[in-house]
Order: sequence, then structure tokens, then C-alpha cells
Amino acid sequence: MKFIHFADAHLDSPFRGLSFLPSKEFNQIYQAADQSLIRIVDLALAEKVDLVLIAGDTFDSAKPSPRSQLFFAEQIKRLTDAQIQVVMIFGNHDHMRREDLLVNQSPYFKLLGADEVVEKASFKTKDNFNYDVVGFSYLNNHITEDKIPDFPEKGQNYTFGLMHAQEKETDSRKNVYAPFTVAEVQALNYDYFALGHIHARRNLSEKPWIVYSGNIQGRHINEMGAKGCYLGVIDESTKKTSIEFKATGPILWQGVQVELDAPISKADLQNRIIASLNNAEQKTYFSLTIAGAQFMTEEEQELIQDTDFWQNISQNLLFDSQFVDVRLKISSNLELNENDQQAFEQAKSEIFKNDEFDQIVSDWKKMDPLSAQLAEDPAFIDAVKQLTEVKLMGKLKGITDETETN
Amino acid sequence: MRLKQIKIVNFGQFSNKTFDLPSDQINVFFGANEAGKSTTVAFIKQVMFGFHLRSNASPFFEDYTPLAHVSPMGGSLVFENDDSEYELERLYAKGDKTKRGILTVKKDGQVVPENLFFDQIQNIDGSFYADSFIFNQEMLGQVTSLSQEDLLERIYYLGAANSGQLLKLRDDFAKEAGKLFKKTGKKPEVNRLLKQIETDRDQLAQTKAEFSDYEKLAQDLKDYKDRLRKAQKALANIQNKQASLRELQKELSNYTTLLDLQKQIKDIKFDSENYQKAQDLMAQGRNLQKMMQSLQEQLSSLTDNEINDVAESKKVVQQKPQLLQWQAEYRNCLQKADQLKQEKEQLLALSPEINQLLDLQTDDIKQLKEDFLALPSKPNEEFNENSSSDKIWYVVGAVLAVIGLILLGTAGVVGIIALIAGIGLAGFGYVKSEQANKQQAAILAKQKAVKDRRQAFYSKYNLDPDMLDLNSLLTNLNQYKLKESAEKTNSEQLNEINQKVAQLAANVQNIIRKPVDDGFDQILNGLDEIEEQINQQQELVQKKSNLSNALSQDKQDLEELNLQLKAVLAQANVEDMASYDAAYQEFLAQAKIKAQYDALEKNLHDDLDELKQEAKEPGKVLAQLQNLAAQATDTTKEIDALQAQVAKLQVQLDNLADSTAVFEAKQELANTETNFVNSSQEYLANLVVSRWISRSLDLASNERFPKMLSAAKEYFALLTGGRYVDIILDKKLTVTRKDGKKREVKYLSRGTAEQLYFALKLAFIEQIKDKINLPILIDDSFVNFDDRRIGYIKKLLEKVSENNQVLIFTAQEKLVDQLEISPLTFTKGTQDA
Repeated sequence: MKFIHFADAHLDSPFRGLSFLPSKEFNQIYQAADQSLIRIVDLALAEKVDLVLIAGDTFDSAKPSPRSQLFFAEQIKRLTDAQIQVVMIFGNHDHMRREDLLVNQSPYFKLLGADEVVEKASFKTKDNFNYDVVGFSYLNNHITEDKIPDFPEKGQNYTFGLMHAQEKETDSRKNVYAPFTVAEVQALNYDYFALGHIHARRNLSEKPWIVYSGNIQGRHINEMGAKGCYLGVIDESTKKTSIEFKATGPILWQGVQVELDAPISKADLQNRIIASLNNAEQKTYFSLTIAGAQFMTEEEQELIQDTDFWQNISQNLLFDSQFVDVRLKISSNLELNENDQQAFEQAKSEIFKNDEFDQIVSDWKKMDPLSAQLAEDPAFIDAVKQLTEVKLMGKLKGITDETETN
Repeated sequence: MRLKQIKIVNFGQFSNKTFDLPSDQINVFFGANEAGKSTTVAFIKQVMFGFHLRSNASPFFEDYTPLAHVSPMGGSLVFENDDSEYELERLYAKGDKTKRGILTVKKDGQVVPENLFFDQIQNIDGSFYADSFIFNQEMLGQVTSLSQEDLLERIYYLGAANSGQLLKLRDDFAKEAGKLFKKTGKKPEVNRLLKQIETDRDQLAQTKAEFSDYEKLAQDLKDYKDRLRKAQKALANIQNKQASLRELQKELSNYTTLLDLQKQIKDIKFDSENYQKAQDLMAQGRNLQKMMQSLQEQLSSLTDNEINDVAESKKVVQQKPQLLQWQAEYRNCLQKADQLKQEKEQLLALSPEINQLLDLQTDDIKQLKEDFLALPSKPNEEFNENSSSDKIWYVVGAVLAVIGLILLGTAGVVGIIALIAGIGLAGFGYVKSEQANKQQAAILAKQKAVKDRRQAFYSKYNLDPDMLDLNSLLTNLNQYKLKESAEKTNSEQLNEINQKVAQLAANVQNIIRKPVDDGFDQILNGLDEIEEQINQQQELVQKKSNLSNALSQDKQDLEELNLQLKAVLAQANVEDMASYDAAYQEFLAQAKIKAQYDALEKNLHDDLDELKQEAKEPGKVLAQLQNLAAQATDTTKEIDALQAQVAKLQVQLDNLADSTAVFEAKQELANTETNFVNSSQEYLANLVVSRWISRSLDLASNERFPKMLSAAKEYFALLTGGRYVDIILDKKLTVTRKDGKKREVKYLSRGTAEQLYFALKLAFIEQIKDKINLPILIDDSFVNFDDRRIGYIKKLLEKVSENNQVLIFTAQEKLVDQLEISPLTFTKGTQDA
């Protein structure tokens, strides 16, 4: 038996961090997730799989656009027309009612566990291999209780778990996506537990399989690397399962680092950047980290953060790739006098302490839910921190340079 | 650092004046105005940091002339620190290069580098000292303009290097942050983007309604489609009914026709064969008549071209051989005339004299003959001219003579002979010539008589007797006359022919009725033409005869046909062919009716009974049909409306199905959020940098500033008796009253402002005491302090003096009393010593 497991298609969701791109680029972005889904369906048809598991968040919202619904329905129809069984659950983003889903009725399409009730469905392949799929769908955007205790004991059949959920964390406020522990799921001992929600591809366990397939198309710089689905093959006699990742996302997000260990001319810098970005094998959105940014002049720093400059660089890239992000890193501290050095270090550690940082950003944080959310986001804080360091070091360098010349 | 002794050598109004300071804590200098309090304060400052020169303007207490005319100027200060004694002596003597005075530092009596002392007070300069440690009226006045910067810079001076630049940096970043975001505001980038995010969210929320719109539309569409289907079905029913009714209607009309036909049917007999025969006979008769008519026309056309008198014409034509004969004769005559003419000319050419003789009569001719014969003959001798032979004689003689002369020179004898011979010959020649001339003269006379007679003949007859052969001439003359006679005869014959021909030409002309010349050819043509006419005439007559024969044959045939036709018509029992035709038409019509009837009857056969019934109520079907038509119209209208509605909904649905509005709204929001994130990062980074620098400076300066601020708050509360509880030192200095109200310094009373100043400065001094510990100089600063305030300040000074030595210079006895310290005084006697 063969199956495909994918999750988090997030059809119709936007890409982030690209506001400067020309509008024609957004046409490709808007089609990227669609394209990835089409490729997954193509793969299912080509591999003649028996089952496709969709582990939630197919749509970006509980009120998906008619266009994305119709598109999805069309793709599902391709599968069901080929008599490929499709089993789908809703996730925290597409916590819809079953009747709001425009997919055509078909014996080969099953929406599992409506109304957040764990449901078991039994199927049979064309070769009469029996299997069960157990799972539940979201009806609301949060599920705070652990649903694993509701999962039935494994029976005779090969058993798939299908769940959109997040591992339990110590901060209970974050446990709002059907929190579970790996041990619990392992204890169920289902043959393959297909998970959705986490956009990074990850195996929580191999014996038995507990797998996040990740999303099907990266949408911002924190969703780097190849995206797609898992193709699983089950040995029907031993029920042993092997899985293989298949990349389907048409646009890749990729981080690249350039390290500076000495001052560099503008032209050399540009050449190094182009060289480091020219390893694409498909259309790629690049985030460039420049370590040793203290070797750059203030002008260079300004230039490299200019989106027009990014666009210029992008014109040299393969596959219509884009240079979309720059992060500067200070790799060592400046030579301040010991007292000052110590003071700056201490101040830094104090300033970036949660409470202190919270106090600094408090006015801004209060303005909007988004700012409140960002203020809690480690990635955002980290970016602010890096930017802060770059800004300060750039200026301090100026001061110490002056001092030296004096 | 404790000041133990002030020793003035010369300074201001003082000379050789020494103060020993009794206390490490508070020392009071009491003196009336102008007693020298300010001078002493200036002395302390200037000995440490250099004399002040007029050229350097100074904000306070140095704007008088400290330099007396005495020399050397200056003095010394003795400090005590950590069990060591520092003596600072500064003297200025006229001629010194530096006007700051020359400083000598001794530690425990030993001269040491001045740094040893200044390092202990962090190498501050005079203004730092004045700003921080000296309190006087002027300094107090500055409190309103006191800002954080002034304090900070001084306080951070003790910590981080480049504190000034760092402070500027910090402020620059704070300013940048302020540009990007304000707590309340619309213009800064971050604020603007927040607003934009709200707008985008609203937009997205609106587009998200797409889905419910879609669902509603889909439901509506389904409903309308159902209704449409029903209406279409109803219409189809109506149309079926209409069709069957129309069918019935049509059959009914056919049935009526059938009945009509039935009525029309008659039984008639008709012999088609006989009719056909009659028809054929009629046709033949028509053909014959046509042929006869044609023959008749041909006949009448022939009679038109007849000739009048054939006999006359034939007679003329018979003259053709005659004419040809005449033509031959005519030609002969012409030939003969030519011949005679030529012969005459030949005779004339042979004997041109004929012309002279033509007019002569026979007698004249006889006379001529006699005259001619009577003529003498012509002399025959020739007159010999011998002159030529005579001359030869002369020539030969001369030649010989010449040769002889020539030879005379060469051959003597021969020459002489030749000469003589030559002369001889010439002489002979002469003799001979004389004889010949005499004979010739006789002959010439004889000849002259003959010639004259012959000349006379010639004149009479114009004939040269010398040339004349009279016989031959007369013969020719005779010949010539014969020819002339023949010519005359020929000419008469020609005339005769011409007359005959002219007669014939006239005849021909009469017959062919066009002019004919007398020329033979034309007359011959005319004759041919007449002949042709005669032939044609004969042919015509033949033709006419043929046509007449045919015509009479046809007439006969026609009569025969008519007889046959009559027989046939009689057989059919009709009078004429027209009646027979009518009978035939009626026969045909009946056959048609019968056929129609049969066809209809066959068609309707099954429904005949039903039709018989329906035919009884003729209006019923029509009424039903009208009713159905009305129903059909209504239903069609309904269908049209429903179809329009369905199409409209379908378009709306399709539009929604193709709409990328949701994605676009999301992407728009995502982009705005990205911009917001970026701007926020920028804003926050600027803000954090500024805080970071600030915090670093605090840390580097051992957190003096926050500590100072907190001490100042405490002092200020103390000085105001608790009326003010907080000091906020930001861009502007603000204080908080006990009741929570905030006040900017410029709105404070002068007394409160001075208290604030005092509190801040003392707090500052306290904070830097570990780095810089110098005596505090208070110069008559309490002029505005009332009793109660003096009480507060006393407390404060006592507190401060635990760390710093305090020197109070005052003219207020009240204060001295309240401090309960015995003061040092400025005695007049020591002045100008």
C-alpha cells in the first residue's frame, strides 16, 4: 500500500516580508501553494497511491475564498476520480463546518472527526488490504484539552493517526492546539501518526512513526528549505512502513551567510553576495546574513539594507530568484576601554532581559494585537536585538575611530 | 579633600591674610557686604585652577579685577587628604609668561608634580568645579535653564570616556525613534502603518464575506434553476397540447374539404382516344394552313421584279456579235491611219523638198524640169595652191645655209659647200612661185559666171541645184500624194463605225435605264446586264409555277382533313373543337377532385368517426388553442425572467470563483504588516540603542545619575518640607507636587526653584564624592531663604557635610546663629597690609 501525507497547505495565504517586490511577483506567490498541491496530486496519481492524508490547515482561514475552495475541490476530484481514498481533517486555521466545504460527495472522500470528536474510519485498498484512520477535526481555533486519551486502542488493521496538534509545553497558555506528548502517542502504537500544524518537517518518532510533514510551501523567511509531502510505502505482510520526502513547493526560502573578516569594498561586497546567492536549483527567496558587519562602513550597511539594491542583485540570480532579506551580525565586540566595555555588556544583558525589554517596548506594544504578539515573538526580539547591536556598534566604531585619530 | 588653611599673599583687597579652618565639616565665614567673601571664594577656585584674566569673560564672581597692582599676586591653599597634606601655591609676578600664575604643589612639604593632586580630583577643570561646588546668587539664577544634559555630562564625565559624544548619540537615537513612533500621533511611520493595518484588516474582513456571498448565491442559483426547470416542463406540456390540438384543427379542415370534394364528384364519360385523334387532326390542319400561308407569301413576293419588253431586249442583245465586228474594224482603221501617217513622215524625211513642191501645179512642175535641165554644169578644175611646195624650197635652202655656217668653223670645205647650196635652193624657190600666180587669176573669172546662174535657180524654187536629184524628188512627191488620199478614205470609214456604235449605245441605255457611253466595253457590259435580266426573268416564271402547284395540293389536303375532323367530332357528339376541349377540361377537373378525395379519405380514415363528432362543434378547438397560447406566453415570460436571473447569478458566482480578492487582501495586509514589522524593528532598535547607551553610561558612572536623582528627590522633599515629592529630569526639568500635579521649573516660585537647584547640586556632589571630594563653597546663597527654609537647609548641610567639607560665606547673622557655629570673620585691619 502507498500513501501520501501532507498538511498545512494554507491555500490563499500571503507571503510575508516581501512588500517591496514588484506586483507581478505576487502572481507567482499567490499560485505557489496551489502549484505545490497540484504537484502532490500529480505525485499521488503517478505513484497510484491508495490513500492521501490531509492533516489540517488546508485553508488559511475558516472562511476560505470561493476560489481556493473550488480549486481544492477540483484537486480532490482528480484523486477521487482515480479512486484514491482521501481522508482529511480541519486544523486550527480552517476550523470549518463540514457543510461549508465545497468538496463533492464521494465514497473516496472522508472528512474525519467532525465537531472535534475523535473518529475511526476503516477502509480497504484495491488489493483488499484493510486499514483504519483515526483522527478529529477542529471546529474552533483552539482545542485546549489533550485528545490522545480519546483515541481508540489499535485494532487488527494497519492504523493511521491523523491529527493537527502541537506538543505540550510548560507555558500552559501555549497549550491550545490539542496538546500532546510524544510518549502518549507512542503508547498508542499506531503504525503511522500523521501530524499537521508545525510547518517545519520533523519526525517525532520512528518506531512508531510520528511525523510532521511540514507545510507544502514556505511563506516567509522562517519557513526555509524544501517543502512538500511524505510518500509512504507499507509492506502489507510485515506492515513495515518506509517514508520518503517529496519536495513540491515551487518557491524555496533559503538562508545564506557571508562572513567578513576585514573591510571590503562596495564592489567586492556586491560580488560576494551575488556569488553566495547563485547556487539556486529552483526559484528561491534568499535571506542573507552578513557576519562581521562591523567591517562594513555605515554607507555599506545602509546600501545593503536598501530594497532597491536587493532588486538589483536579484536581476543577476538564476530561476528568477529574489534577494529578499538581510541580517547583519556583529561577530565580535569593539575595543572599548575596559570599564566602558563592561558597562556596555552589562547594559546589554539588562536591556534585553524580558522585563526591561517589555518596559522599553511597552508604549508600542499597547498599540495593536500585532505589536503585542511581536513583542512576545523571540524571532522578532532577536531581529531587534541584532539591529540594535549593528546600529550601536556602527556608531561606537565611529566614536572610537575619532578617539584614535585624536 | 579637606581645606585646612587659606593663605593669601596678595589677592583683591587682601594681603597677607590667613584663615585656618577649624572644621572638616562646616565652616562659616561671616562678613558684611564688600568684606571680601566673594574674593575669598574666587581665591580658592583660582589658586586651584588658575588666575582669571580680564581677557577671559566669566559668568560670575570673576568679573571684577582680581589682580592687584602688587606683586607677586596669589597665595596658597592647604588640603588634607588620607593623612597627607597638599599645599597648592599659585603666584603671579609681573613679567610671567603665563597669566594663570605659577603653581607649585607640595605633598607633605615636598614639591611634587601637580598631577599628583589633580589626579585625585579626576582632573576636572575650573568650570566643572565652579558649576558643581560653588553656590552663589548667579549660579542659583541658572536653575530655570538647568537641563539633564548639563548634569549628565558632568556626572558621566566620571565614568565613560567620550560621554559627551555618547550622550549625543543616545539623544540622536532617541530622536530617530521619536520620528518613527509616537504614543499618540498619526504621522510617524509606525503609527501610520498601524492605521494602515486597521484599514487592511477591515478590507480583508469585507473580502472574506465572499464565502458567505458565494454560499448564498449558490443556494439562490439552485432555487432559481429548480423553478426554471419546472416552468420549462410546464411549457413543454402546453406545447404538446397545442401541437395535438393543431393537428386536430388541421384534420378538421381536411375533413371539411373532404365533404366539399364529395359533393363535387360527378360521373362523366369521355373517350380520350377520340379526343386525341381530334386534337391530332386539328394540329395537322393548323400545320397545313401555316404551310399554305407561307407559300402564298412566297408567291406574292415573286411578282414584284418583272421586265417590261423582253422582245426588245432580246433584239438588242442579238446585236452583240455585230458590235464585236465593229470593234475589230474600228481597231483596223486606227491601225491603218497610224501606218499612213508614218509612211508620209518617212517620205518627208527622205525628201524634205517635197514640202516646197506640194503647192505647185502640174505646169509648174514642168517648168521646173525645164529650168533645171537648162542650168550650166558646175566647174570641175581645182585651183592648185602650190605655195607650199614653193616654201619647201626656201626652208631647205635656209637649213643648208645654216648647216654650212656651222660647218664652216669645223669642217671648212663642207660648210662652204652647204652654204652655197642653201642659197642656191632659196633662189630657185622664188622663181617657181611667180609662175603659179599668173595661171590662177584666169580660172577664177570663168567660175564666177556659172555660179551666178545657179544662184538665180535657187532663188526661184528654193531648191539647191547642186544638191537636187529631180527625178527621185518627183517620184517621192507622187508617192506622198497617194498616201494622203488613202488617209482620207480610212477616216471616212471610222466615222461610219462610230455612228453605228452610238446608235446601239442609245438602245442599250434605253433598256437598262442608266447612261451608257459610246465605249465598246461599256456597251458590252450593258448587253451582258440585259442578258442577265432576261435569264432572271425566266427563272422567276419557273418558280411561280412551282409554288402555285404546291399551294393547290395543300388546299386539297386541308379539305380532306376537315372532313375527317367533322367525322371525329360527330362521333364525340360535339359541335366543334371548342366544345370538345371544354368537355375534356371538365373530365380533367373531375379526375383531380377524385384523386384529392381519395388521398384525404385515406389520410383521415382512422379519425373519421372522431372528426365527424368534432365537426359538430366547430369553435371548440379554436377556443382551446387560444387558451393554451395565452398560457404558453405567460410561461415563456416566466422562463425568460428565470433564465436571466440564473445567468446573472451564474456570472456572480463565476466572478467569485475566480476572485483572488481574498488572497490580495491578505497579501496586502501581510505586506503592510511586514512594513510595520520593519519600521517597528527600526523604531525599537533606535529606542533600545538609546536606552542601552543611557544604561551603559549609568553603569559606567556607577549609576551615579539615578542615584543622584533619587538623592535629589530626597533633598528636594527635605528642602520643601515635603511639598514636592518627585523630580523628573527629562528634556525638561519637571517636579511633582505632593498632590501629584506636575510643574515645569519655569513655573515654580523663585524660592522653590532655588531649593530645587540646591537639592540637585548637593545630590550631585554627593554622588561624585568618591571620585571628587572638594569643599563646597556657599556664597551668600540663602538670601531668599526664610527662617523655616534655613531650618531645612541646615539639616541638609549637616547631612552633606558628613562627606564634604562645607564653607559658608554669609552676611546673615540669623543663619550664623541658626548654624550654631562660631564664624571666621574678615577683620578690616588685615586689609591692605
